[in-house]
Amino acid sequence: MADASIEFKGSSFTLSVLYLKTLNLADIRADLAKKIAQAPDFFYLVPIVVNIEMLNSSVESSFESTTDNSIDYHAIKTLVEAFNFTFVGFTGSLAKEQRQLIRELGFSFVNTARASTAEKQTFAKQAVTAQTETQTMVPQQPLFTDKIHRGQIRSGQQVYAKGQNLVVIGSVSAGAEVIADGNIHVYGSLRGRAIAGAKGHHHAQIYCQNLEAELVSINGNYWLSESMEQHWSSPVYIHLNDSELMSSKLI
Amino acid sequence: MARIIVVTSGKGGVGKTTSSAAIGLGLALKGNKVVLIDFDIGLRNLDLIMGCERRVVYDFVNVINGEATLNQALIKDKRVSSLSILPASQTRDKDALNKENVGKVLEELGKSFDFIICDSPAGIEAGAMMALYYADEAVVTTNPEVSSVRDSDRILGMLASRSRRAELGLEPIKEHLLLTRYSPKRVEEGEMLSVEDVEDILSIPLLGVIPESQAVLKASNAGEPVILDTMSDAGQAYQDVIDRLLGETVDFRFLVAEKKGIFSRMFGG
Repeated sequence: MADASIEFKGSSFTLSVLYLKTLNLADIRADLAKKIAQAPDFFYLVPIVVNIEMLNSSVESSFESTTDNSIDYHAIKTLVEAFNFTFVGFTGSLAKEQRQLIRELGFSFVNTARASTAEKQTFAKQAVTAQTETQTMVPQQPLFTDKIHRGQIRSGQQVYAKGQNLVVIGSVSAGAEVIADGNIHVYGSLRGRAIAGAKGHHHAQIYCQNLEAELVSINGNYWLSESMEQHWSSPVYIHLNDSELMSSKLI
Repeated sequence: MARIIVVTSGKGGVGKTTSSAAIGLGLALKGNKVVLIDFDIGLRNLDLIMGCERRVVYDFVNVINGEATLNQALIKDKRVSSLSILPASQTRDKDALNKENVGKVLEELGKSFDFIICDSPAGIEAGAMMALYYADEAVVTTNPEVSSVRDSDRILGMLASRSRRAELGLEPIKEHLLLTRYSPKRVEEGEMLSVEDVEDILSIPLLGVIPESQAVLKASNAGEPVILDTMSDAGQAYQDVIDRLLGETVDFRFLVAEKKGIFSRMFGG
């Protein structure tokens, strides 16, 4: 019987590669923060491969003679993820032992096209594994397009902007439900339920001209009406701060 | 072309049948040919309010099933000859109607009448959907009270999505808000939603505000639509509704509580 539900295929992807030049995590953190501050949306949830081949020379040249093990792979992954990248794996022209070590630690090693043909053959099998992993780890495009709804959304109606932001030009009645994988904008009163970042988007926000909602939710964190007293009946946007919802006045 | 107007609400007991009767009779009094259809199959009421319950021989379901002709089933109003009533069946249920046959009956009626007023049953099930399906306009009857407003909102959603006009992508049903059982005194005391509150939530044009009135119950029991009671505030408010339906601009009345003068206070006016 054929596998009707799944199929394996090789695909190539353009992935961002982060070249590390130092082992000093504090320096990396500072530089990353600077870089990301320039374009936070561009980097959000971008799948990233970390190239560590330049680290080896710095390890060798350092006075304390240490082995390859001194690269703290776990710390690098944690650091990268702290900046909201989606960590895919490590890459670089590395010795066989080091690649082995990386895999033993539970990370995937992504082969570069530059690798020699001989190496390619050796790693053909692993490359497929790595690529498949890449495929599953690539998240939803973070730059959402807009779904625009003109007119009031009445009680009992539900509008879902799948993989999009939702813009409602009108009010959302009590008993109605608006859902978006991205942000929700209501140019009217929000009296029903609004669920933004429905598929897990931490930075999703809800904007409305008049907040009288039954429920607002971002990335699974929700408020019922009673939590909205502070900005009730005013123009507000709601956002997520760590795992706490926050509301701020629009004007 | 006849204007098909559905009188609907979602919630029961808000005054759909009272309003249908008043609007039907009011339009007829202005010289229009009007037919009132009771879509509330199984809970026949319109004939009672119209005072013609003893003259029902055949009903809407008989016509749908081809057991009677329209002329046999239509009851001519004794007060105004240009008004006819198509009563509901008391013995059947709402499933007795089907879209195709209702469409045929409405088309037939459209040939000889100016207005077809469809008195919808409460709820959002088949019967209510049938009543609104062919409508050109809708009079959404609402009490100034949260559950009624919520249900009206739901019905407005249905009007925009489940009607023939919506299905064929035609110009949407023209929606009118009719606020009934309005008590300015209770609004001032904060017990009742105000006209502005309801307009804000439903955001459809206001057709009329009918004040809470003793005259309505009296009229219903007597089988004389309240619009005939020209002395009552409710009757006058319905008269304004008719004028607005016919395209006139009329100021809204009965929106503020009457201040009792010293004489009426002394003599219990």
